[in-house]
Amino acid sequence: MISQAVPPTSIYLPYLAELLRVESIAEREKLFEFKLSHGKELGHKPGQFVEISLFGIGEMPISISSSPTRKGSFELAVRAVGNVTNALHRLSKGATVGIRGPFGNGFPVDNLKGKDIVIVAGGIGLFPLRSLINYILDKRSEFGRLIILSGSRTPQERMFVNELEKWHKREDVELLETVDEGDEEWTGHVGVVTTLSSEVHIDPEKIFAVVVGPPVMYKFVVAECHKKGIPDERIIMSLERRMKCGIGKCGHCQINGVYVCQEGPVFTYAEVKKLREAI
Amino acid sequence: MKAKLGFFDFTGCEGCQLEVLNFETELVELLNHVDIVNFREAKTEREDNYEIAFVEGSITRESEIPRLKKIRQQAKIVVALGACACLGGVNCLKNFRPMEENLRIVYGDAARYYDTIPARPISSIVPVDYYVPGCPIDKKEFLKVTKALLLGKRPEIPNYPVCVECKLAGNVCTFDKGETCLGPVTRAGCNAICISNGRHCWGCRGPVDDPNTNSEKEILQKHGLTVEDILNQFRIFNGYLEVSK
Amino acid sequence: MENKIIEKQNMAPFVDNLINAEAEVIGPKRKDGKYAFDKLIETGELCLDYDTTLLPPKMYLFPPKETLIKFELGKEPKVEPVAEAKPLILFGVHPYDIKAIELLDVAFSTTNPDINYLSKREKAVIIGVDCLNPNPNAFCPSLGTATAETGFDLMLTDIGDSYVVAIGSSKGEQLLTKYAETREASQAELAQRNSERQKALARYKVTLNISPEELPQLLGKSWDSPWWKEKSEKCLSCGSCIVVCPTCFCFDVQDDIALNLKEGERYRQWDGCMLADFAAVAGEGNFRGDKESRFRHRMYRKGKYIWERYEKLGCVGCGRCASACLAEIASPAETFNKLKEESK
Ligand SMILES: Cc1cc2nc3c(=O)[nH]c(=O)nc-3n(C[C@H](O)[C@H](O)[C@H](O)COP(=O)(O)OP(=O)(O)OC[C@H]3O[C@@H](n4cnc5c(N)ncnc54)[C@H](O)[C@@H]3O)c2cc1C
Ligand code: SF4
Ligand code: SF4
Ligand code: SF4
Ligand code: SF4
Ligand code: SF4
Ligand code: FES
Repeated sequence: MISQAVPPTSIYLPYLAELLRVESIAEREKLFEFKLSHGKELGHKPGQFVEISLFGIGEMPISISSSPTRKGSFELAVRAVGNVTNALHRLSKGATVGIRGPFGNGFPVDNLKGKDIVIVAGGIGLFPLRSLINYILDKRSEFGRLIILSGSRTPQERMFVNELEKWHKREDVELLETVDEGDEEWTGHVGVVTTLSSEVHIDPEKIFAVVVGPPVMYKFVVAECHKKGIPDERIIMSLERRMKCGIGKCGHCQINGVYVCQEGPVFTYAEVKKLREAI
Repeated sequence: MKAKLGFFDFTGCEGCQLEVLNFETELVELLNHVDIVNFREAKTEREDNYEIAFVEGSITRESEIPRLKKIRQQAKIVVALGACACLGGVNCLKNFRPMEENLRIVYGDAARYYDTIPARPISSIVPVDYYVPGCPIDKKEFLKVTKALLLGKRPEIPNYPVCVECKLAGNVCTFDKGETCLGPVTRAGCNAICISNGRHCWGCRGPVDDPNTNSEKEILQKHGLTVEDILNQFRIFNGYLEVSK
Repeated sequence: MENKIIEKQNMAPFVDNLINAEAEVIGPKRKDGKYAFDKLIETGELCLDYDTTLLPPKMYLFPPKETLIKFELGKEPKVEPVAEAKPLILFGVHPYDIKAIELLDVAFSTTNPDINYLSKREKAVIIGVDCLNPNPNAFCPSLGTATAETGFDLMLTDIGDSYVVAIGSSKGEQLLTKYAETREASQAELAQRNSERQKALARYKVTLNISPEELPQLLGKSWDSPWWKEKSEKCLSCGSCIVVCPTCFCFDVQDDIALNLKEGERYRQWDGCMLADFAAVAGEGNFRGDKESRFRHRMYRKGKYIWERYEKLGCVGCGRCASACLAEIASPAETFNKLKEESK
């Protein structure tokens, strides 16, 4: 029997959005600022994502990189890797795209309030984390310490360099950066992101770790967190899977019995650990 | 600006190009977006400023190699068209006979005037960007690939076996009718046309990326084929893959 | 539930009336020695004593390929949703397929209701028929799917000279009143129905040695079994098992554009976890890149994940996958029985 009536609208129909600004952030990465054509806010939480359409090319999931505290528009940061990403990179100001969402659960910002937070970003893991960082900065008094550990492969691949500089200068942000491989000009730390951990002193009783990076990174960061005494429930990560629908129908994003687009993409390590295929 | 396409043929039956000419109405619509600059079958004058080269036929003579290399130099995108260009195709059957014998069979006494080398796909000579497999190619797929290229998109050629499309077409499996089939290791995209028309799949679109050939051989054997039969089945289209191992 | 009788000679007029007066009627027909659901042109084509069909009737509610939106490119692109649906009578659906449709109903209406499925579902009438002639790979009795109490508008059972018709909805009742010659069913005829159903149970050749309620737990502890690798070695990743399955509902989404490179559509088409690229992401990544993990995932879906998510069985025991699998590895019954044995 049908447990619900036919819905009035299609969950597959995107809203239109106008591209307000494109900015290059690294060799293969660009930042795109959009405004929904119907004039309303996207209304997202940090850590959520949208399905962005380029009609005729396709649709793909992209994390929202701006903080919901910055109103009027939203930003997506995208690395060019395939059909839709490359086509998006060819767009310029004034172009129109389709947007569905926001989807997914997002970071548990309410649980983070009043706590110290260590953010661990590997490569483009900074894209979704930037939303959380700016959210915390805009509501700075509601959170404890903010420690950011950011790792890039090379100095050329550092993302959001200007913002990193700004965060560096702030008294209320502890930012540590590293690159896997340095060059002549790089005077900073060299080594994978976990090698920064010795320089960080935390109070394991009141800290949350929020980790986003390439799949290989998670195991190592979790081991570091354990060494520092951070319990599984307070290690938070965002996982990536192939996605088509973003709304729990197409089945592509499954990890065991979990639909990442629904129950995720943000999980605690306590949850992830129970999934055999997760990391 | 319109994109410029060129069509080139090497050793093959030119069936694939004819296939393109076979749907003139669509071709006319497409001509709003492209100029066809070098198409042996359709036009006589030739220009050399094409951006997308569709190459048909396999390479079977020394003299074809520099010509193919020149095409690669000029074109931004090279698309292999049809089983011959993609896989070596039916032409590879001759690889299993001594070369001299081939020449004698084909040219009789005139054989000594021709140079011939083992048939090979164009990708063995130059890098190939995309493939439109099949013998002959499927019109719809050719249009799909061309449209994708015009939109700046990587064409989606399925990487799953013919069985998917065969089942979707509602066919009764040929194995259930006491026959055999190469569908389980062959790349889909043809809508299982041969099976829908009462025949079986002979693998003209080449294998999927990671075919389970051992399992397929076991199944064929279980259904009464000998190793010899099986090799012959595979060789019809995929001979080059076997010799190049 | 109310029951009526349609005499066999009155069945053809009933179907003809439906075809002529009501809606498109889809029913099982012969196809190359097997059966397939197809549009009925005349009653004679209908085979109500079939074993199973090549493809499940879900294809009329969740078509293999279906447009989701249409668009027009340009400075100001236009987009509109598409959800096509027309009145449809699915005639002669077996109980296991009815149970499978009940699962799809839940999957497509939970959380984000899917207009494309639900609008078709709303317009569909389901006239079931008891399966008295099961296919040799089916194991419905072990899963409680050999008969259905809900999910249909009418349910027929062949009792020899006539059909008992159970009325499952007012829609079904109306069709019956309007188009069929019926009479009340006697106690003897209802007893006859039971006995036919009982006799059919004995015709199933495959049995599960575990109850469906225990499956999630059994699978929960079987992740590391050598079975997955051993058995999946022969898998062709050909997807036959998921394409023929009445409970599979995964799909891919792609864009297509017209030759004018202006108008286009976004469509979905059946996809599934047994195909090599189902979990592949841009670049080289594939989260289930080997046959073993795909094979295991499908079995977990059938016996555990779907149950945990929707409280419905992920497999209804129709046996189509086992019949379709050339490598002879796809039957959930074989896997579940084997794991049960291992766990002893
Ligand atoms: C929740 C989530 C958030 C993401 N956030 C970002 C982000 O902020 N910035 C960014 O650059 N990338 C992000 N990605 C990855 C991004 O979705 C893929 O790079 C993108 O889908 C590749 O699409 P394509 O069409 O260019 O590649 P193709 O290889 O042409 O892929 C075709 C289609 O397959 C699917 N697909 C392929 N790769 C992925 C993938 N890695 N993840 C999900 N679906 C995939 C998509 O539907 C895609 O359109 C995110 C992925 C997920 C799941
Ligand atoms: S007929 Fe061939 S392609 Fe079709 S299902 Fe059987 S083996 Fe596969
Ligand atoms: S069914 Fe097989 S032989 Fe026929 S066109 Fe398709 S791939 Fe080629
Ligand atoms: S289990 Fe059988 S039917 Fe399914 S993909 Fe593997 S070989 Fe094909
Ligand atoms: S898994 Fe196999 S037996 Fe179970 S419902 Fe699907 S096709 Fe039928
Ligand atoms: S078994 Fe696989 S294809 Fe079928 S519904 Fe489950 S995940 Fe999707
Ligand atoms: S992306 Fe479709 S179910 Fe999650």
